[in-house]
Amino acid sequence: MNKCRRFLLIVFLLPVILLTLTSVLWAAEPVKLGEINPLSGYLAKHGWEIHQGILYAVEEVNARGGLAGHRVELLSRDDRSSPEVAVNQAQELLYREKVVGLLGGYVDSLVGPISQLAARHRVPYVASASLQSALTRQWRNPYFFRVSKLEGIVEPLCQFISQTLKPQRVAILYMATPGSTEFATEVAGRLRRAGAALPLMEKFRPGARDFSVFLLKVKEAKADVLISGGFFPDNLILVRQMRERPVGLKAFIAPWGVAYPSFIEEMGPASEGLLGLCAWNPGVTMPGTEKESQAFVQGFRHRFGVEPNTTTMHGYTSARALLAALEKVLQKKEPLTGATICRELAGLDLLLPMERLKFDAYGDPMYYQQVVVQIQQRKMVVVYPPARATGRVQYPWDF
Amino acid sequence: MIFAQILISGFSLGSFYALIALGFSLIFGVTHAFNLAHGELILLSGYLAYYLWKFSGASPYWAVPVCLVVMPGAALLLNLLLRGVKAPFELNSLVITFGLALFLQNLMLWGFSADYRLIQPEMGRFLEAPGLRITETQVMLLLLSLAATGLTHWTLHHTFLGKALRAAIQDRRAALLAGINVRRMGLVAFGFGGMLIGVAGPLYAQTMYLYPAGGLEATLTAVVITIFAGVGRTRAILAGGWLLGVAESLATFLLGAGWRELVSAVLLIGLLIFRPHGILAKGEG
Repeated sequence: MNKCRRFLLIVFLLPVILLTLTSVLWAAEPVKLGEINPLSGYLAKHGWEIHQGILYAVEEVNARGGLAGHRVELLSRDDRSSPEVAVNQAQELLYREKVVGLLGGYVDSLVGPISQLAARHRVPYVASASLQSALTRQWRNPYFFRVSKLEGIVEPLCQFISQTLKPQRVAILYMATPGSTEFATEVAGRLRRAGAALPLMEKFRPGARDFSVFLLKVKEAKADVLISGGFFPDNLILVRQMRERPVGLKAFIAPWGVAYPSFIEEMGPASEGLLGLCAWNPGVTMPGTEKESQAFVQGFRHRFGVEPNTTTMHGYTSARALLAALEKVLQKKEPLTGATICRELAGLDLLLPMERLKFDAYGDPMYYQQVVVQIQQRKMVVVYPPARATGRVQYPWDF
Repeated sequence: MIFAQILISGFSLGSFYALIALGFSLIFGVTHAFNLAHGELILLSGYLAYYLWKFSGASPYWAVPVCLVVMPGAALLLNLLLRGVKAPFELNSLVITFGLALFLQNLMLWGFSADYRLIQPEMGRFLEAPGLRITETQVMLLLLSLAATGLTHWTLHHTFLGKALRAAIQDRRAALLAGINVRRMGLVAFGFGGMLIGVAGPLYAQTMYLYPAGGLEATLTAVVITIFAGVGRTRAILAGGWLLGVAESLATFLLGAGWRELVSAVLLIGLLIFRPHGILAKGEG
């Protein structure tokens, strides 16, 4: 009988002790992180993808006990794809919630204002998707870090075009956003220097409904290759209209929006042969991170019920960087201030599925490099650089 | 030949604009309800068409009759919602439909996710002449906009019901004095407007892409075309759509894609100054 009572006592007490210990552990003040993403509006698709990547990284950390015993609390805010709202949301996170770091952001028009606000408040901001070089080079901001950079797209793209496609005449269509405009200018300069003619270079406003007349101009210009600096939805319309009325292109390449499983699903057979760029995708990972990448894909699918993509991975990578820096500060038993966190961010060197992440003196990632993929049989095949290629490029096409 | 191709692009784009605007103009004309959720209703119709096309594998045009039947129901629900609105009706309807638009956006975000959706036309279906190619989507846009405009115009001008609707558009008080049940005319306008939204949705999903916040653009297009045309002028809606479509296409060709919106804005301001009652208004400009 005594044995039985003792057993019952243990059965009763054990969970109570465990719960008490856990609550004491979690009672340590949570680390508050703020995240601002376009969760509604024109860019909502990519905003949600980044949000899920960040959330997954935070949940991963909390599942293994938090950061040095501190639970991480993620405060997510929607900027509604508008810079004004992004600033308001960032102010709320900084003034009222007193977050120790900021994450997220898609396109420079949304990231730029937040980065300046973060600098004024001396709070580190690790942007998930930002390209404009002025944000780091022109206005040196010691509190701003990002996991992507323009050079990581422009360089492989231009090398691939000049070395593999060797076009005579290139047309460029780009969006009236800071990142896309700088991208187009940079690409045009490099291709001209490589000897290609650029008979057509035009910009458009986000949300354009019709590219048929622009495509007529591409045909008139007798371009071999069209580079599109539009986003996912722009490329949906552009490619569809190009397929409806072929204009004699040998290749179509878009750094944003094409290398997505959902793009292939939406376009179906019309996506065949298109070229895109990505930093990561399930099956396209940094050498040496295959296992981690696979574990991420499986865990992500289980958690969200959807396939992660390159944008998700940008969110995940930015969160991993900030979390790693925070952990280092906490392990050193130092206060979480802008200065201590930025110091640790500046000293990071992580090998992640998307890239080896080490920031340069400007807060840009030193090793960020995208790969060129071609859609073949509705799958993404890496065709450049040769060291990471999983197949050969099929060229020319007749778009 | 290149100018002929540009004109075809312009007219098909204009037809698309007209289809978006027809339902808005009719409802606004009869009921004075400034429906800011008009674009969201078009999106709902577009999503319905998209999923019908996706899961049935049939031609997307088969979705048109389904949307034609379903969407008047949604429009009549909106009419029910607006029935209890107090004066000033125009302003209050604007606030309520703005709230409804936000509600529908969030509902679509929850139900359909933030992903962009697009109905893919079958490739290789087009009409071809030397130097010219007219795609199936362009033909359907032209035909359906002509049919919708023609039917609306015929109903408004050649039926007793249409005359009552026009009377309600022109002067609600005088229509009431003439024994016309203006409230019932509102119901008819919402039902008919819902049918026009039902036609516009599938074509929107095929011409543009669907995403939950995309309704605002459709609403703005509808408002602009209604201003171009003048309230209750169905033929002028098509003419206004064509004018805007052709102007945008020519601007893209002659000046560049970046000039398109500026040219539209200049055209709109010019029309408001020189023809404030609408593009085809006689003797009022």
